[in-house]
Order: sequence, then C-alpha cells, then structure tokens
Amino acid sequence: MDRPLRRRLETRFANELTGPVRQRHDATEIRIGPAALTSVMATLHDEPDLDFALLADLAGVDTGDHMQVVYHLWSAKTPDWLRVIAEPLPRDDPRIPTLTGLWPGAEWMEREAYDMFGIVFEGNRDLRRIYMPPDYTSFPLRKDFFLPDDAARSPGGGVRHVERPEAPPAVAAGSLRRTPGA
Amino acid sequence: MVTETPIGKIRSDDDPRVLLDEQIGSFEPVPPYPPRTERESEFYTLGDGEMFLNMGPQHPSTHGVLRVVLKISGENVVDLDPVLGYLHRGVEKLCENSDYHHIISQVDPLEYVSSLFCEWSPVMAFEKLLDVEVPRRAEYIRVLTGELLRVASHALFQGWMALDLGGLTPILYSFIERDEIVEMLASITGQRMLFNYFRIGGVNGDVNHEFMSRLGDWMSRAAKQHETSIGLLNENEIFVRRMRDIGRLDRDLALRMAVTGPNLRAAGVPYDLRRAHPYSVYPELEFDIPVRGTGPEGGDALDRYLLRLEEVKQSLRIIDQCLHNMPDGPVMAKLPRLLRPRPGRAWAAIEGPRGLYGTYAISDGTDQPFRMKIHDPSFVHLQLVVQLMRGNLIADTMAVMASLDPIMGGVDK
Repeated sequence: MDRPLRRRLETRFANELTGPVRQRHDATEIRIGPAALTSVMATLHDEPDLDFALLADLAGVDTGDHMQVVYHLWSAKTPDWLRVIAEPLPRDDPRIPTLTGLWPGAEWMEREAYDMFGIVFEGNRDLRRIYMPPDYTSFPLRKDFFLPDDAARSPGGGVRHVERPEAPPAVAAGSLRRTPGA
Repeated sequence: MVTETPIGKIRSDDDPRVLLDEQIGSFEPVPPYPPRTERESEFYTLGDGEMFLNMGPQHPSTHGVLRVVLKISGENVVDLDPVLGYLHRGVEKLCENSDYHHIISQVDPLEYVSSLFCEWSPVMAFEKLLDVEVPRRAEYIRVLTGELLRVASHALFQGWMALDLGGLTPILYSFIERDEIVEMLASITGQRMLFNYFRIGGVNGDVNHEFMSRLGDWMSRAAKQHETSIGLLNENEIFVRRMRDIGRLDRDLALRMAVTGPNLRAAGVPYDLRRAHPYSVYPELEFDIPVRGTGPEGGDALDRYLLRLEEVKQSLRIIDQCLHNMPDGPVMAKLPRLLRPRPGRAWAAIEGPRGLYGTYAISDGTDQPFRMKIHDPSFVHLQLVVQLMRGNLIADTMAVMASLDPIMGGVDK
C-alpha cells in the first residue's frame, strides 16, 4: 500500500472523487463520475509525479443496479496498481467518453465492453461488436442474460453458427444477482 | 413468432426460431449491411486501384481461427480489418457461473500453449480476495513450472515464426524441446497441455521423482540445445533479411497501444512485471531483463524474435536457482472445500510469455465470483497488426503477426 500516492490523489482530485480512496493489498482504488473521466485520465497519464503510462486493463461491470467501467493503470512511480472506477452508468443507457485519444490501444477493449455490456464509448471510431455476430441483439455479460439450464435443448445450443433473432425477454428487477457495494 | 426468413439464412429443423447461415464456409469480404461506424465505412470504401482480399478464418498461418480482411493496392497492404470471434467461448460468463475451484479448469484452455499462466493470475486474484498466504515451496514450484513453460512457449514461437516465413525445419526442433517439457510437466500434473495444476493456496501435488530426474536430464543439455536452435535460424540470411525492418514499433506507440511483455521490451521499454511489480518469489531470484530496440526508431520483427531467445537463457537461470533454493514444506495452504470470500475486489497480474495476464475478480460473498474479467495480452497485441502493417507487403503480414506471437484462444476468450 502506497500511502503517499493516496494523499497525492486525494489532493489532486479533491473535486472529482465521488468516494474515498481505498487501498487493499497492492491496489489503490479511486471512484469518479463518467463525466470527469477524460480529464482525470489525462492528468494521471501526463503529470510527471503520477505518470501512469500503461493501461493494463479495461473491464465493464454490471452490478445489477448500474454499470461501471473499471480501468487498471500502471506507473513506474508507485508500487501499487491504480484502479479507476467510473460509475454510475444507468443500465438502460450506459454512456461514457472514450479513452482512445490517450491510449489508442483501448479501442478493442472498449469494443469488447460494448459487445458484452452494451456500454457506449462516445468518440470511439470503431464501436462494433467484436466477438458476437453483427446481427446479435443481446449483451451476454449483463446480469439479466441467464445461461440456459440445458445447452442441448436451448435455442442457443449446439456447435453450429446460431443466433437468436429476437431480443431476450425482459427480466423482473428483483430476480437479478447484484452487489450494490461493488 | 417470426415467419419470414431473411436472405442468406435458413431455419433450424430442431427449433424454427434459430437462424442458420445458408452457406457455411463462404466469406464475402464486404459485409452485407451498411457500415455502422466511422472506421468501418472508411475501411470498406475502395480507393483507386484497390481491392479486398479475404484471409482466413482457416488460414494456416493465423495461429488459430482468425479472419483478416486486407485492403490491398497491388502487392501493398493499404489497411486491414481483423474479424474475431470464431473461437469465442464466453469464458468470463462461464466463470461467473462456476465456483472458485472450478474456474481453474475453465480458464485453462484460454491460451493452450502456455496454460499455466492463464491459471496463475486468477489464482492470485482469488488468494487476494481470501487473504491466503501461499506456502513458499508452492511458490517455488509455480515459478519453476511457469519458467519451464515459458521456455516451451518461446521454443514454439521460434518454430512458428520460421514456418510462417516458409522454413519447415525449425518447428520440428521446437516440438522436440516442447515435448520434453510437457512430458516433464505431465509427470506431475497428469496432462500434456491443459495442466489444471495451480490451486487457490498452492499447487495440486508436490514435484515427484520422475519430474526431477527428467528435469535434471533436460537441464544438462538445455543450454546446448538452445544454442543449436539459435544456430538454425540466426545465421540464415534469408530469414534475417525477411525479418529486418518490418513491423517497426517504437516506445511511444507501444505504450499508447497498451502493449506488454516481450513486444514492449523489444520496443525499448524495460518493463517486466517480475521486476516492475514483483510477485511470488521473483524478488529472491537473480535474472536480467533483456531489452532491444532502444533507438529512436524502436524495434522490428527481428528484435522481437531475438529478444525471446535471450529470455529463454534467463528462464534457464531461474529454473536452475529454483532447483537449488527450493525449501521443504507443504505445497497447499489450509483452506475449506467451499470458498466464500468476503465481498470485495481484487486485481492480479503476472508476466507470461506473451505479456501481462491479468484478472479482475469481484466477490459478492457467494461461492461464485460476481464478475471476472480476464485480460489477455494476445488480444491487445493483435490490434497492433493494423498499425504495423499499413504500407507493407502482403507476404510480410504473416511475419509481423507471427513476431507479435498472438494465440487466438486467448484473443477470443
């Protein structure tokens, strides 16, 4: 745990942080709103005493209540990983600015999060589905997408190239698995 | 109920709701729908004297099932569009519906060439969630088996690299080396490919006599064997001239494209997680981090190839130290059969033969992770092909792709 990094982040992003800076094991975690993402990331990347040069990972998360986009950054200036959680994105229309201006390599990671969760990264020039077929209509990693109990009998089962033309049925809000604290 | 069948589709006999492709195996380079993004409309608009060429998904040198649409002008590649998803298995969704022990076998086939590294980062992430201390002997065994597999993976890379350039001999030598190592690992894991060996809190079983005798036998000639395989290619003028000055990657582009692993080190950045963010027992071991392409123009495909050969020598050093320093003791921490970590989040990343393998796991207090994101380096490196190939020859496409060493099982998850 890098205590000085925590103080630096708290003073530098006093206005942007939406929750306390948390530290556990070798990760420091900050939470910001989606609107502040571009400026916070640019500061983290450009400022010499932060210098987070490498985007290690980009993950979409559906907590059951809202969507998150979680970024993991690495810097030579600190022994910690930095986890930036951008939330909340509404589940019915998740939108967040793209990071491809800062890291062009985020393009495919954003495409993956779009494909799996339907999160729209505004400004990404190539926001197409990346794994699923182009005429697929659902977002598989959302919590309202259930795995069929028996793959052999389900319409989506089998090894051939298959697709479900209709959108999945709406799910009652109470039946979702959720972690409000995530 | 939908009654009309779209053009190009037929209805399944088993379930009329399911639409199947009428002609499986035929690929039109241009998609049958209007472009959806800026990039897609730019790519699928032909300029003067340009044409599309469809490569894959069953092209022999794509290291898996990858389809690439090339936009070419004469012999030059103007632009390219990789189409993924032919190997997509939804591993992350399966992991969310499996318990923590079961996940290790789910992530194994992600990268079938070096599957221990796919197990390592989830296992580390779960250990952080559970606050488990791994016994030191288990950590040494993990490093030992991991470095052995890194040697096997780099040996196979060397053979593939030559195969993609039209040389058949090196892959035969590569497989001799790889076969010795996987047989060795099979004696402790019982498997030749998908080892399923790491466990949360340790490893599944201690090293045995057969493994040690095979390893000692191999170590006595590994360095010499490595020199032989270096001699096969490094002095081959055709190979070297084909590889030089193609796919140049400089420091700035590499960092902005989120490249990690040997590809980043061959672009002049001395970034190795084993030193930059130490985990396991790597701080106790002596080894160097080879770096190439430190000049302003960065490293080319040849640099990426040579760097991996140098890494093999360092791995042999680590294996030797592991054998000498390995302590006695248990190989598993004491843990209950059913794991229910407290709600929380954990990220763990390791340095594999291709780069950063990471896992972000969220626990909600049940015996299954709420969300598990797997980061695979091949996925990130493959999008680099688009940047590196513009303006190069078609024949060099496969050479550049092979020099980045992507494995499609990891790309498609």
